[in-house]
Amino acid sequence: MEVIGKPVKEGNIDTIAERIFHESIRILGGLKNLVEYRNLTWLPSLAEAAYVIALKNEAIKTNREIAEYLGITEQTVKNILSADETKVMERLKGESEKKEHIAGGLAKLAYRAIREKRDNLEERMEIMEESAKSLGIDWAVHVLSNIKGLDFPIENKEVLVERLRGYRIKGKDIEDILSSLEYPISNPAELLHKIREKL
Amino acid sequence: MKHEEYVYELSELKDYAPKIFGIPTGTKLDEMFYTVTYDEKKDRYVKKPLGGIPHLAVLNVTGIPDTGKSLLAEQFAVYQAARNYPVLFVTVESPANFLYTALKQKAQVLGLDFTTVEKNMIIIDASQDVELRENMNALLDTMAYAIKKKNTKNVVIDSITGLYEHREVLARQIVRQMFNFLKKWNQTALLVSQKRSSQSSETAEAAGGLAVAHIVDGTIVMDKEVITSKWAASMYGRKIGEVIRTIRIDGCRLVPHASETYVFDITDTGLIDIKEPLSKIARGGD
Repeated sequence: MEVIGKPVKEGNIDTIAERIFHESIRILGGLKNLVEYRNLTWLPSLAEAAYVIALKNEAIKTNREIAEYLGITEQTVKNILSADETKVMERLKGESEKKEHIAGGLAKLAYRAIREKRDNLEERMEIMEESAKSLGIDWAVHVLSNIKGLDFPIENKEVLVERLRGYRIKGKDIEDILSSLEYPISNPAELLHKIREKL
Repeated sequence: MKHEEYVYELSELKDYAPKIFGIPTGTKLDEMFYTVTYDEKKDRYVKKPLGGIPHLAVLNVTGIPDTGKSLLAEQFAVYQAARNYPVLFVTVESPANFLYTALKQKAQVLGLDFTTVEKNMIIIDASQDVELRENMNALLDTMAYAIKKKNTKNVVIDSITGLYEHREVLARQIVRQMFNFLKKWNQTALLVSQKRSSQSSETAEAAGGLAVAHIVDGTIVMDKEVITSKWAASMYGRKIGEVIRTIRIDGCRLVPHASETYVFDITDTGLIDIKEPLSKIARGGD
């Protein structure tokens, strides 16, 4: 008879966020499509939206808690959660000009597909990971999952190096990238943005 | 989420409607919930005992102290675990090691295999951890972990009142969150609920007010009366100083149920033994 005496944090939020992230890319037509249309800049926002959807639906967090957890504003969380999936698809197909939180809508579509088991996860995961690695764009999710729990603002690279040691993005050592960033970094979103600029 | 997502054509819900059947408690309570089916041969509706509390129901068990609420909840938990239906037991009152002893005794008395019970039961000990008692998100995260880990079908919380005893103004919010959580995770649940001294012992009202009873699917009210007058002794056929215990179902939105009040005993070994309707033993009512 197992007894749990302390709160257990949901360890699989990272996994679910990664699934949402991968499924969103599949909905967009795959990595190749993203590369062709030069939409790789969406990926950090998509990683962020994947976490928002995972935390809201799986860990039953409030908007404020999600905002604090990810270091983004409550309004961004709201925008992601209220994004209209249908409108997002219309916009992606060029059928609508309406401004909509694309990453939020995609992440919600992806989450629904996962819940309804339409994502064929097992077969695709390997292929996606390989493709993402070969294109060097799986870094955003990796960075976010590894810095979880860090206190922001981050004043210097040391704490980040400790979490991300040995990781390479597009052939560059993460330690070199982190050394070239300007500190302090006030939240995870800013960190992703600064890393992207150095790639 | 868009509001349209919550609007359904009735026919769309066909595949989502839960099947109604009983989850046995190991007590006569199982015969107090009914199912009504149409008998074509006899051309009439037939009432049959459900054989348990309704599948996926979230029921409140309320009563004044020493009415057997925890005993009923433990008996249900042990009985289900012994039948290989995993149970999550959230103990907010009694520390887990004391609960272990109580559950073991129950299994022995009921003649159930305690090894099977042990295998099918996972316990969250919120009695010793403030965060689990006071941070609803931490508790729900931990419960989600336990439900997934053991693939539980049943949940017992003893007591839900312990989660808001010093902040009763939050009772509705906490019970609503818990109710939605248990529904989301497809659990059949008993929530033990204390009463306040100002609340009538025989009503469904519990700490947090009637709101708690309104939120959940139904309430089981357990009560007791000490026989202190000749009149009561004569009416109940008991001696002065004895205790008469009663149990009744105060509403259930999922299935029909007995509306009578039943008499029960707590045996020396701590089992709930439901006897017969109070109307059958009470004299002079009419």
